[in-house]
Amino acid sequence: MSSWAGPDEIFLSTSLAGFLDKKLIVLLRDGRKLLGTLCSFDQFANVVLQGACERVIVGELYCDVPLGLYVIRGENVVLIGELDREKDELPAHMTCVSEAEIRKAEKAEREARDLKGSMRKRMEFLDFD
Amino acid sequence: MDLSVFHRRNKSQVNEKDIIVTSNFATQLFFSYFKELVGKEVTVELKNDLAIRGTLHSVDQYLNIKLENTRVVDQDKYPHMLSVRNCFIRGSVVRYVLLPQDGVDIDILHDATRREARGG
Amino acid sequence: MAAAAAAAAAEEEIAVKEPLDLIRLSLDERIYVKLRSDRELRGKLHAYDQHLNMILGDVEEIVTTVEIDDETYEEIVRTTKRTIPFLFVRGDGVILVSPPLRTA
Repeated sequence: MSSWAGPDEIFLSTSLAGFLDKKLIVLLRDGRKLLGTLCSFDQFANVVLQGACERVIVGELYCDVPLGLYVIRGENVVLIGELDREKDELPAHMTCVSEAEIRKAEKAEREARDLKGSMRKRMEFLDFD
Repeated sequence: MDLSVFHRRNKSQVNEKDIIVTSNFATQLFFSYFKELVGKEVTVELKNDLAIRGTLHSVDQYLNIKLENTRVVDQDKYPHMLSVRNCFIRGSVVRYVLLPQDGVDIDILHDATRREARGG
Repeated sequence: MAAAAAAAAAEEEIAVKEPLDLIRLSLDERIYVKLRSDRELRGKLHAYDQHLNMILGDVEEIVTTVEIDDETYEEIVRTTKRTIPFLFVRGDGVILVSPPLRTA
């Protein structure tokens, strides 16, 4: 209903119409961050992004991995934010790296986390309680 | 597709009162409440722990929310949100909304809740 | 006749026929709410609906987190408390609601 508001109500409703042709960041439920230009949407917050990319961030490093045209199912959308062109998208201390480098950094981060989990399992026999 | 047959079959299985209660899916009470808060500052805390403060721009029947002049509470943890000033939040991912205390009269809230509880 | 109708209305008000009636009786009282992701709330119930969306006042939130120590790999259980004056809680996160204890 209100998501299908006509032109007059766009600015007083939750309609995504005001975001059309704007550069957006879409946060997904699995934690991924997609960037792109909104070309279509519906009342379920299904959205179509043109020139989409995934912004992978690991610590101080980031990389925008190009994806092309994406249709995102509304269920998986957490938040849609308009990127203000006047402002920096990321803090100045962050470094843009290649896709290969960001994947390497992701892998290292994942392995460090897994190691912590497996060490904990190995120590369980000591019965901390 | 004609769904009216399906509706009729459902109606014959359950009594009218139940239909009114179950079909009243829109949380009318909270939808109305949030509409009253438009223009006020709120903090929306999401199920993924992201908390965003901003001016309530609009709300709809699913309790989707649009915020303006937003800032993320823990900015260092979410660098990708740095340049976001307007956003749409899907109602289903909201955990809390921290409300202004001068929002709506508490007696009115109580009355509206009792009315809603009676199936109104 | 009018008195009888008023009495019937009053009875309707206190009758407990379904689970949510217990919550109706807790309006304007302090309740305990257990939520998903190890969260607990205590606060005064100001509003609710059939999804258990709620508005609570003078809320105390307790979050329980389990961390693993970097060196000893021991589990560290932490509870974080905060107070929120006025809070909307989305019903889909609610596990249980406990009305105030009545001694009378």
